Amino acid sequence: MQGSNGAVERVLRYLEAVKNDNPNINAIVDIDEAGVLDAAASVDKQTSSDRAGSLAGTVFTIKSNINVKGLRASCASETLKNYVAGYDATVISRLRDAGALIIGTANMDEFACGSSGETSCFGPTKNPAAPDRVPGGSSSGSVASVAAGFCDASLGSDTGGSIRNPASHCGVAAIKPTYGCVSRYGLIDLAMSLDQIGPIAKDTVTLAEVLGVIAGHDPRDATSIKNGGASSYSKNLNDDLSGLKVGVAQEFEPLTDPKIMDVINKKIELLEELGAEIKGVTLPHLGNALPTYYLTMFVEFFSATRKFDGRRYGKRIEAVCGREVLRRIEIGRYISQKEFSGRYYKKALQFRSLIKKELLNALKDVDVIVGPTVPKLPHRTGETIDDPLTMYAYDVLTVPANLAGIPAGVTPAGKVDGVPVGLQIQGKPLGEQTILNAMHALESANGGRR
Amino acid sequence: MKTIIGFEIHEQIATKTKLYCDSPTDYRDAAPNTNVCEVCTGMPGSKPHPVNQEAIDAAVEIALMLDCEIVKDPIYIQRKHYDYPDLPSGYQRTSLPIGKNGSLGGIGIWEVHLEEDPGKYEPKSGKVDYNRSGVPLVEIVTAPDITNPEDGRRFLRELVKVLQYTGKVKTEGGTMRTDTNISLEGGARVEIKNINSVKGAYKALKFEITRQKNLRKRGHAVKRETRAFVEAQMITKAMRTKEEADDYRYIPDPDIPPLLITDSKIAEIKSKMPETPQMKEKRFASEYGIKLGDANVLASELELANAFEKVAKEVEADHAARWIVRDLKRVLEYNSLTFKGSSITTEQLVELFNMIKSHEITVKTGQKVIEMLAERPHSPRKIVEELGLGKIKEDHVVEEAVKDALAENQKAVDDYTRGNPGALNYVVGQVMRKTKGRADPSTVLKMLKEQIK
Repeated sequence: MQGSNGAVERVLRYLEAVKNDNPNINAIVDIDEAGVLDAAASVDKQTSSDRAGSLAGTVFTIKSNINVKGLRASCASETLKNYVAGYDATVISRLRDAGALIIGTANMDEFACGSSGETSCFGPTKNPAAPDRVPGGSSSGSVASVAAGFCDASLGSDTGGSIRNPASHCGVAAIKPTYGCVSRYGLIDLAMSLDQIGPIAKDTVTLAEVLGVIAGHDPRDATSIKNGGASSYSKNLNDDLSGLKVGVAQEFEPLTDPKIMDVINKKIELLEELGAEIKGVTLPHLGNALPTYYLTMFVEFFSATRKFDGRRYGKRIEAVCGREVLRRIEIGRYISQKEFSGRYYKKALQFRSLIKKELLNALKDVDVIVGPTVPKLPHRTGETIDDPLTMYAYDVLTVPANLAGIPAGVTPAGKVDGVPVGLQIQGKPLGEQTILNAMHALESANGGRR
Repeated sequence: MKTIIGFEIHEQIATKTKLYCDSPTDYRDAAPNTNVCEVCTGMPGSKPHPVNQEAIDAAVEIALMLDCEIVKDPIYIQRKHYDYPDLPSGYQRTSLPIGKNGSLGGIGIWEVHLEEDPGKYEPKSGKVDYNRSGVPLVEIVTAPDITNPEDGRRFLRELVKVLQYTGKVKTEGGTMRTDTNISLEGGARVEIKNINSVKGAYKALKFEITRQKNLRKRGHAVKRETRAFVEAQMITKAMRTKEEADDYRYIPDPDIPPLLITDSKIAEIKSKMPETPQMKEKRFASEYGIKLGDANVLASELELANAFEKVAKEVEADHAARWIVRDLKRVLEYNSLTFKGSSITTEQLVELFNMIKSHEITVKTGQKVIEMLAERPHSPRKIVEELGLGKIKEDHVVEEAVKDALAENQKAVDDYTRGNPGALNYVVGQVMRKTKGRADPSTVLKMLKEQIK
């Protein structure tokens, strides 16, 4: 940051924007004005003494399911409404060490259970890019706070598309990293084998910078990959796509709104113009991804919520949670019974390894697989979706990356009826750099951003 | 009526830190909830660190000592869900078997696996102390090969010995917990929980056999149920029936990659592992030519067995064995000490046993000195000198005592002269008393015989 109070001035500008627009957008739950100004002042001090970190002065919101010491980690739930984090998640200590500034905690679907941003106990988040539509979810506030200009970047979590879905609907850049690339230590669980923290930003350079800071082995997370995650993503950004093998699955088109497909196809053509080689791939098990995902998630979520038994955190989760959270807990409780052993969770694990094998096989022939992120546009605000299966269908194209543990980025591709649509780029395990390069090349071809 | 008994034994592994975090394992002396962190209290968002390697190695060693095959396939850590105030996350983490198909003293060992201890809940105050939460446990499951409480007790004693031999389990008392399954031929299986000692297990089995027999005599069937042992009353009480049994909804813990135990790891552990007490016993008997019963006592504690072997290098083995088994062991038990816990050294023992062997001191004095070794870190010779316990060298002092004893015990002398040679031993004893054990008994006997003639 330039100047000796650059960071403070920047924060003040963002605080102004938050005060003006957040009451309408409802992207931020708790604003930490005193804390962020304090941190900005010390960043300014370091900048003048030339000891600035790589994210010095970059302003963040943090999804409310990530522990930020001293702030509420509420998961936008009645259950944890009064839970103040007693420790920093690993990603938060890494952000702080790099000079990042946390302006507040972001709204979300309750316990990350939702794809619309409507199930928060603090009320729904609005879509800054399409005011009559939902923003998507569950990282609704994280994405909306970036799209609304409340911050430079945000951290969200992605279990079945929770970062990519709203990023697509709100027109920002985001990436779900390889499972184990970013530490989950301090992330409140939805489904442990699928959850992954990832960054959201207005542009790919910032996105790559943030990912470089939060990625890398964490000895406190047993699923963290050793030697995984580079710190140099932004330095290594490369727009030259010549020779890049881009896979397109024939299974995407029949599932997707034709108008969305048109926007996506234009981007695929652009990739070809930029030197990429387009190849057809086939993913016959794509149709099994949704049930596999949901059965796995129900059981893991049931297990993860057993600690909210009303003894330590005020209220028993089943007594105070919303309908979607309750539905997931109760289905999880039901299908994990001993008498069903082997029929649901174990079968889901078997299908999961099948889907993973299929995706990894497809990725042997190509560097990335590109396609739509969400098969349909977000619904209009106020329009209630009662059928859970209709709601779950939003996730059909995003869950495979979580099931396979592979990275997947989203970059704005265009608009349909004025609503942003994002291109999803899935890559090989630890292939974040390749994804970021493609995202950046598309951005540059559009003359900078979007 | 045939009785079928099996055990599930839990013992704490003596690691410095807990199974899934860096918090210290000391929960006895620390103030409540001081040796805790966000992991072992299950704070939202906390994740288990990778499994404590020291605990895995200890479980492998214990499994090997129990003659188990080590599982080479990936070993998953499971979540066992149940709702209780001492469980911070609503589930306990328990591994699938690390070792299988072992045996100890003819009793089959089905499996050995790792678990974490929950916190401690005080129902009266409603308070929970999480200092114990996450302390590593090894669980040993036996085959139902035991047929009576006496064999059960013998097995548990042998098992405790094996566990202590490894040096990998907590040795302070009261950390062992045993669940017992028991059924009488043709009857339902009953599980007894809350047993905290070998003696408790024995008492619980005795009570339960009588209870089940009496039920049958009165024409009632034994219910399949879980019962709790009430130590204060030495009885078992119904906890829950099979219909009420918990469904633990086991799932492999998604937060923890499965364990893989390699051949080279097993070889490394085997190379450092002590001989089992059972093997040691047999070797002592044949190598040192001592009685199997004495060898059993010597092998009861690893440090004691090692001390014996060291002493036997410098003192005749059967002399050393006799003194350790008969006298040292008595002194240790009287003071409730293990050899390791006492300050007695092998140097002291060698010196003392040599002084006895060379008749420098009497047997009586030897016994006195060994009692003092438990309290004094001095050399036996110094103790003897300081306390004036050396053998009486001046014959006239002994002669005096002999004369007195004869005068005071005319009846015994008469018995002796009438042909009862045993009567003289009594007089010898009286002389020894007068000389405080410092006279040489063979000299005393010689003098007595001369005087009576």
